[in-house]
Amino acid sequence: MVAHLPAGRQYVTLTACSRGSYDRGHVSIESARIERILKNLVAAANGDYDTRVPLEENDDEFLDVEIGVNYLLDELVLERDQNAAQSRQIAAQTTALVEALSTPIIAVWPGVLVLPIIGAIDIQRTTTININLLARVVSERAKYVILDLTGVETIATGTMPALLQMVRAIGLLGATCFVTGINSRAAQQIVELGDNDMQLRTLARVSDALALILGPGTKSSTR
Amino acid sequence: MPFEFEQATTASGMRYLLIRASGHVTLDDGKMMERYLLPGMPYHRGLVLSLVAKGTEYSPEVRKFFDTIKTTYVALAAVVTSPIVRAAINMMLRLTGSQNALRMFTNEAEALAWLATHTPETPG
Repeated sequence: MVAHLPAGRQYVTLTACSRGSYDRGHVSIESARIERILKNLVAAANGDYDTRVPLEENDDEFLDVEIGVNYLLDELVLERDQNAAQSRQIAAQTTALVEALSTPIIAVWPGVLVLPIIGAIDIQRTTTININLLARVVSERAKYVILDLTGVETIATGTMPALLQMVRAIGLLGATCFVTGINSRAAQQIVELGDNDMQLRTLARVSDALALILGPGTKSSTR
Repeated sequence: MPFEFEQATTASGMRYLLIRASGHVTLDDGKMMERYLLPGMPYHRGLVLSLVAKGTEYSPEVRKFFDTIKTTYVALAAVVTSPIVRAAINMMLRLTGSQNALRMFTNEAEALAWLATHTPETPG
């Protein structure tokens, strides 16, 4: 059988067997074809699914193997792309969820909004809070806003001015902003800003602010 | 168009759907083929002859889709001359399980003779 094959090439003789019989036939395969398959399998094992076994019009059963490897690689690419799309979708949902949770604005009383902030605050988060909070102040016709920083661990450098600007913006909308739960580090940051005209109304706890707003002689209503 | 459809009839009056396939066959092409074979269509549970040109390739999506329409015809004879295309169809058959209703041939006469042994369930 090998005698009929083109000279100058290396061949491997595969013995096709079935049910333990080794005499059912022989298939001679050019070594380079096996090498090409191995090369693609190694690439796939290393995460590269984009190469394919080059196909030639060889009318033999080994062509089925070559096609099979290519189809397997196609499936891996499909799975990889589907996984990537799913990951992007999950990331987008997570971002949306985190954004929603970062500004949990609660209307505790008609005209009174509380925004408990938890975790670290940076400029980006402050911007998100600013947009959402000011929109709620307008839509709820809020008269009071309590910004609770009890759960804030750190305030990034340069973020405090943005927070204070938000307090001023709330004032410009006709609402009064109370800031509660300021820790010692944040207090120090505010002092370092050196702005004595910021009209920041601070209280220790949210309950203190609520008592002040809802206490005797104070009308808590919408504007 | 990777698939070109024709209504054909043999000398003996047997009616069949002729599909000439070439190029890169995608899921859209598979769905186009399905439209000819859906219930209520003239070739539903009928006979199909596909002449598959050398170099025809099938996208991963359409390979899977073919499995979903294999009950819409009584017999599909594919005339294939390219070993690569033959191996591709062989692999699709392996992936989707054996199909008695699909057979490959190297010439059209043999394919038509095989189709003639089947009876369409929808009179053409």
